[in-house]
Amino acid sequence: MAGVSDGVAERRALIRLAHGVEPGDARIGRLVAESGAVAALARLRDTGRGSVHLDGIRARLASAGPDDPDARATEVGAAIVTRLDRDWPSQLDDLGHQAPFALWVSGAASLRLLALRSVAVVGARACTAYGEEVARSWSAELGGERWSVLSGGAYGIDAAAHRGALAAGGTTICVLAGGVDMPYPRAHDALIARIADEGLVVSESPPGESVRRQRFLSRNRLIAALSRATLVVEAAARSGTIATARAAAAMNRPVLAVPGPVTSPASAGCHRMIRDGDALLVESPGDVLDLLDLSHASHSHGPVAPDPRPRDGLAARERTVLDAVPSRGTVTAEALAAAAAVPIQEAWAALGVLEAGGWVLADAEGWRLARLTPRRRDA
Amino acid sequence: MALAKVHGVVVWGVSGALVRVEVDVSSGLPSVGVIGLPDTSVSESRWRVRSAVASIDATWPNQRVTISLSPAEVPKNGAGLDLPIAVGVLLASDQLPGADVSATTFIGELGLDGRLRPTRGAMAGALAARAGGLDRIIVAPQNASEIARLPGIAVVSARDLAGVVAILRGADPGENVPVPPEREALEGPDLCDVRGHDHARFALAVAAAGGHHMALVGPPGVGKTMLAERLPGLLPDLDDETAVEVAAIHSVAGLTRPDVTRPPYRAPHHSASSAALLGAAQGHRVRPGAVTLAHRGVLFLDEAPEFSRPSLEGLRQPLESGQVSLHRSGWAGLLPAAFQLVLAANPCPCGQRTGNGAGCSCPAQAVRRYASRLSGPLVDRIDIRMWLTQPSGAELAAQQGGDDSATVRARVVQARARASHRFAGLPWATNAAIPAGRLRRDWRPSSGGADLLADLERRAVNLRGPDRVLRMAWTVADLAGRDRPGRDDVAVALGLRGAGLGWPA
Repeated sequence: MAGVSDGVAERRALIRLAHGVEPGDARIGRLVAESGAVAALARLRDTGRGSVHLDGIRARLASAGPDDPDARATEVGAAIVTRLDRDWPSQLDDLGHQAPFALWVSGAASLRLLALRSVAVVGARACTAYGEEVARSWSAELGGERWSVLSGGAYGIDAAAHRGALAAGGTTICVLAGGVDMPYPRAHDALIARIADEGLVVSESPPGESVRRQRFLSRNRLIAALSRATLVVEAAARSGTIATARAAAAMNRPVLAVPGPVTSPASAGCHRMIRDGDALLVESPGDVLDLLDLSHASHSHGPVAPDPRPRDGLAARERTVLDAVPSRGTVTAEALAAAAAVPIQEAWAALGVLEAGGWVLADAEGWRLARLTPRRRDA
Repeated sequence: MALAKVHGVVVWGVSGALVRVEVDVSSGLPSVGVIGLPDTSVSESRWRVRSAVASIDATWPNQRVTISLSPAEVPKNGAGLDLPIAVGVLLASDQLPGADVSATTFIGELGLDGRLRPTRGAMAGALAARAGGLDRIIVAPQNASEIARLPGIAVVSARDLAGVVAILRGADPGENVPVPPEREALEGPDLCDVRGHDHARFALAVAAAGGHHMALVGPPGVGKTMLAERLPGLLPDLDDETAVEVAAIHSVAGLTRPDVTRPPYRAPHHSASSAALLGAAQGHRVRPGAVTLAHRGVLFLDEAPEFSRPSLEGLRQPLESGQVSLHRSGWAGLLPAAFQLVLAANPCPCGQRTGNGAGCSCPAQAVRRYASRLSGPLVDRIDIRMWLTQPSGAELAAQQGGDDSATVRARVVQARARASHRFAGLPWATNAAIPAGRLRRDWRPSSGGADLLADLERRAVNLRGPDRVLRMAWTVADLAGRDRPGRDDVAVALGLRGAGLGWPA
């Protein structure tokens, strides 16, 4: 069995690989999946001259990367998250061998929790005023409904989506193609800094890495994989946005598209996806929310994942009350107090903490469990 | 003496203004002139005064009488100047030799038979007189009992003009000294009458202790009004200064209350015009609105979403500044309006949207519109938000019987004492009034509470309005007798912020 030190070495090897291997390299990904990161790293170093491809990686592995990557990440205000860390978003496994080895995350929130309830809002850089307005106002609406808005920080639709979510007090995640300390485009320095403050800035490239053409495409697949659904606001017929949508569709994630005027080239990509049945037409943020709720309920691949919300932050009384909330249906605070055998005052205090922590939800009918994890269709 | 100077008062806005009444009796054709911006009721004073003077053993000077009211630029209204004018005429015509009126104010309307009648705004006038350095006030008995509790000024009552003349001639006003009304036992509904609603009763105590505004949402008949009208009974007595301030406002509005040391309670109906809610001016006369009459007390808006939009919008200013501005042609200025707001709302226009919502017949659009009327800046200021449900028979049966209002009020008084000790030297006295900027910087919870808040803020998307939570946590700690809010206090505060009401933070 792998011990603690093995875990540490494996994690270090994953981060090392992230320094040397270009994002989305499925060959190396398969190697890691088959033999583990430590072994994969050793094989890459030891193998004699093979292909040009492997030579390049070997050269980079030999030269690149700081001795203590975690300390280096802290220097730029980021943390490294690998599949061995608690904050790893498990939906990235849908990328298969193309899953990133490590992510650099800048910001205070939990990537895993935010990404669980996130929707990608993407689109053209050369957007129209219509597209920008849709991206901004819909993102604000989604942010208001406590969905995180995920995008790429680019000009046009991306920036409008981030700004809309921020304006509504929602959270937003910006996935960069370069390192988290290399905001791109430069003109969005302030915006990206604000996102790091109030949301998260994520990259699979180590700090200091600049953007490259290939990295935009791999960044797009990461956006698609992190979010629960991808909303395309405006996209030209051939564009990076379409690549994002295609990546989302390949993972069986819902792709939603906003229609535009038939005379607008900026909407041509959206229209084509709708016509070809690759995307669902949405007319309002409410449509998006409805579809998200559906996918929430019917997204059933594999066993139910363990609840990512750590219980250790809860006091004993709060755990007692949480355990008393029925798994289905709603219950009044008074009935809950009786079931948990705590005074009503304490039940309310516990419910306040649980609600703020995302464990329970309240509405006119009473209190019910909040589900972050997908529910089986037959449950 | 041909020229006499006497002090009177008029009402200006919701406060009094000291007026110097000068009466000059000089040779000329017999006539009476009143100058100095008198309105009709003041001008008519000469007829009443003339008859009143004739009714006692005195004569009206058969000469030219000029009555000047100064300061000349303050518009004078009301009949309260009758008495000072009458006294001035008697002095100027040498019928009150030796009387010293330099430190005395006179308030009262005269009947043709010389009877002294009470006037509106006596308390406001008495305050102005005291501020002007006068130490004696002569009024009608009804007004005397209203202002008897005002310290720093001797209140003398007289039944008629003859009584006033007797006092000025040195008669012992002994039998005329008004008896301050016995403080009546606390009136108003008592908290112990409320069955069920344990959490809401606790929330009321928090509201009273911290001065937090409060919203109650629930179906009709659940007990929103019942709870709201019990809040004043939980508030501490007004201190002397505040009680006088409130009494002055009520005297201007012509209202009397049984116990002026208790905080006022106003519950305007939702059909009230914005003038009735926020105040109005007719000519120079100001009619304080419900927000001003609830100053230092409780303003309860039942079915708040049904109030007109101008009314609800108009509440923003008093909620922010504790004052309401009134700009009319006859009068412009600020009226005090530092009230504690309690508002009640149904879950939807028909009120039946509760439980599984089967009884509700409202279209979704109407429900959203109804709720949205309260959104925005108004709701932002409301710390405590309660969702009320009908207590079940079992809950009612299980109830032990809660504390009565007096018991809870004693706890509130202690909590407020803690808070005011903490805020000594700062411009606010309650937790609800801590400015947002200072809250995060100077008023942190203890480590347990701070950890919980930080933890929730870091990981949860649901923590809206953390400032409100922190303010309430301080009040909860004050009520529990703790120096600093701990984890439990923050948790309790989280339970008071109305999760699930669907309102913005």
